[in-house]
Amino acid sequence: MASNILRKLSCSLKNVGLSGPRVCQTLSVAPSALSRCLSSEAAAGAETRPTVRPHDAVAREHLVDFGRYVAECLPKFVQKVQVTGTDELEVLVAPEGIVPVLTFLKDHHNAQFASLADIAGVDVPSRLYRFEIVYNLLSLRFNSRIRVKTYTDELTPIDSVNDVYKAANWYEREIWDMFGVFFADHPDLRRILTDYGFEGHPFRKDFPLSGYVEVRYDDARKRVVVEPLELAQEFRRFELNSPWEQFPNFRDTSVIEDATPTTEKK
Amino acid sequence: MSSFREDSYLTTGLTGMHVARHPTKTLANTYAKILRTTAKMPDDAAYRKYTEALVRDRAAIVEKAGNDWKMVEKEMNSGQIEELIIQADKELSLARQMLAWKPWEPLVTKPEADQWKWPPPK
Repeated sequence: MASNILRKLSCSLKNVGLSGPRVCQTLSVAPSALSRCLSSEAAAGAETRPTVRPHDAVAREHLVDFGRYVAECLPKFVQKVQVTGTDELEVLVAPEGIVPVLTFLKDHHNAQFASLADIAGVDVPSRLYRFEIVYNLLSLRFNSRIRVKTYTDELTPIDSVNDVYKAANWYEREIWDMFGVFFADHPDLRRILTDYGFEGHPFRKDFPLSGYVEVRYDDARKRVVVEPLELAQEFRRFELNSPWEQFPNFRDTSVIEDATPTTEKK
Repeated sequence: MSSFREDSYLTTGLTGMHVARHPTKTLANTYAKILRTTAKMPDDAAYRKYTEALVRDRAAIVEKAGNDWKMVEKEMNSGQIEELIIQADKELSLARQMLAWKPWEPLVTKPEADQWKWPPPK
């Protein structure tokens, strides 16, 4: 009996492990769905130094195709699609569309990005919408990754994706704590990384390196006290930014390739 | 003819995923539901076009295979048949939500000129 079960089990496992280029011919309607059917060999004339990641032109082509596919399916929300110099696909979406885009990427047959690896934030104070919110997704089915970016400012709330990915709960709390970006419909939006009673959002560029307050144990009062920071005048100025740009000639040599479909740019 | 799985399959081998009792029938039903949902979308919607083509292909495989779920798994090459059912359910819920979101409409917000520029202007 036991061996019988085992045999059936191994048979079902074999079924799971089946893979090959065939699915693309029979099923995929997208130009080429994802990188599943690729061999991982590098193209001819590839990098030979073992310390440098080889460039895979075929995989890159598939990423570009898939990016076009996403943009074509969701023209209402996708503003731009790009592939970085290190072969990473990025979908740049309008803030209103973050929930539809992520739901599409999670639930569509050709995508199946069922795992949310991380949510990150970027603060660029010179922009009108200074915060970028970055979602990193992983498709276990197709062994592929994608990055979705959107933007907001200090006051505009962004839709929580907690209903799509449960993992977003704590990641969004981190973003709220570090950048002060408000997530609408989040079930439990509290600080998560900083201490009780902390004020401010430490990853904002205008947050001082020394913070605003000082926490210490007061021996006379027998408790921890929080006091406004007092620094001697000579320590008050922190000039950590370099006064000149290190590589001015290379500032605009971007290696990011725009993969937005042309029909979408009407 | 019953679509009940004749061989007593005990486990899928994946935690929390139970053996489906009428897998091909369930799958065919869900595919039909997806097609009924996408039929409510405009004809030129890219999502409708691609999803219908894909689901029609899959439905044809299921129809051809009859009760032979092993053949379905082999033809689709996207996991066990229980996983295929989950994928179809997800697509169905997505298609229903798409009706409300209407993603085929033109771009809802244009980005600021420097929004996606990198490195950012000073």
